[in-house]
Amino acid sequence: MHEVIHDAVDVLATFADRRVRPLHMRWNNRNYAIKNVNLVHTAREGQKKIFYFSVSDIANYFKLRLDSETLEWHLVEVYANG
Amino acid sequence: MNSYFASVEQQANPFLRGKPIGIIGKDQKRTIVATASIEAKRLGVKTAMSTWEAKKICPSIIFVPGDSQKYGFITNAFNELFLEFTDRVEQFSVDESFLDITEQAKDYFGAAWIGQRLRVRLKEVCGEWITASIGIAPNKLLAKLASESVKPNGLTIIQEEDAIRLLDSQKLNDLCGIGSRTAKRLNGLGIMNFKQLREFPIKELVDEFDSLGFWLHEAAHGRNDSEVNSEETDPKSIGHSYTLPHDTFDTALVRRYLLGMCEKVAWRLRRDGFVAQTLSVYIRYGDFSGAGKQCVLKESLSNGLDLFHVTWRLIESVRDPSQPIRLIGITTFHLSRSKPTMRLFSTEAGSVFGEKKEQKTVSVLSALDKLQHRYGDKAWTRASLLPIELKERSSGFHYDHEL
Repeated sequence: MHEVIHDAVDVLATFADRRVRPLHMRWNNRNYAIKNVNLVHTAREGQKKIFYFSVSDIANYFKLRLDSETLEWHLVEVYANG
Repeated sequence: MNSYFASVEQQANPFLRGKPIGIIGKDQKRTIVATASIEAKRLGVKTAMSTWEAKKICPSIIFVPGDSQKYGFITNAFNELFLEFTDRVEQFSVDESFLDITEQAKDYFGAAWIGQRLRVRLKEVCGEWITASIGIAPNKLLAKLASESVKPNGLTIIQEEDAIRLLDSQKLNDLCGIGSRTAKRLNGLGIMNFKQLREFPIKELVDEFDSLGFWLHEAAHGRNDSEVNSEETDPKSIGHSYTLPHDTFDTALVRRYLLGMCEKVAWRLRRDGFVAQTLSVYIRYGDFSGAGKQCVLKESLSNGLDLFHVTWRLIESVRDPSQPIRLIGITTFHLSRSKPTMRLFSTEAGSVFGEKKEQKTVSVLSALDKLQHRYGDKAWTRASLLPIELKERSSGFHYDHEL
């Protein structure tokens, strides 16, 4: 099931080799270990750069939004397999 | 690229891989399948099919709303990647580009090696699920035809001596440049395939199609001298068309959407430093019939409200009030890089007050443009547009957010 949302989430990420890689996400009092980063893309909101991470764990797809000005993470899409 | 938008979604979401999916537009009910995944195509779903028809043919199809920012990012990524191979890259559409590798490849063996290398780099840069079909040929026309002959993930080489064989295995409208209307006109002349087109007297072709007749004659022989054009050129027109959320007789609603579209077009004109001298409008009714009109403007325009007043007058002059409106389209053309004409005779007929109002409008627009540059297109809107939402569209040739 595919859901479009806009929930603030906590994300544990690494910043290495000029790349950001989300590792864990906390949403609705649950921790999710991110298994794969499938696609990263950026978008502009005026002059602000937004990063989008399409990631997955073993059963779910998540699309995470990182605001590069405020460093806030939001979960904007969820797709549960099955 | 193969099933481009669908492949990007399958790359992003691994749970969609191997499944029939269809990328759809902004409105689930009134939309079409913009791209079907390879799996959906195998089950009979075609591009531009309505969603209800696709669901009927393939009940297991999963509809995914399009995300043009994601597709635009990947389009830019692969076009940048192509520059690793040659600086002569021409973006033909959102998922097709021509590369002139004549110098780099030396011969067809070299071209095949570059093709293979390109596939590897594409996988590294865009992801394992995003694939391309590559056509290598002596000209753009044959290269495009070759790329379409093996899907997905094909690499097809057509040398000059293979051109006729390839053409003769295709339908007339498989060739880029022969649309269904041209094919129908050719059929009317008794031309049903490329062999017959080659044998048809060129003089009669030119009599029927003017300069297109020469092009058709050359194309039927696999000849085309169009070069890979890597230079960006100024647009010939700037426009916007939009399918309304439902067919409507509601004049106020149509006016709101029209104003929103005019503001978008005007912003793009001002941002890119153009003013428009000619304007056309088109309305499509619920039964898919339509009406349109064009006018040359007395003053060159780049102000949304002014565009709106002119377009609305045009619409009123052609609109059939007994028909509900489904879609509105506006196009500005004869664009030039000059400042908008200050109206000498505005509503206040040349009064000092009218001139001051005009100057105020110019300075307010300039301030709003700065806001939009800094904070994006949601930075401001007219109060009258608050009840409606103009959603993002994706098409084969451009992305809304990049316009």
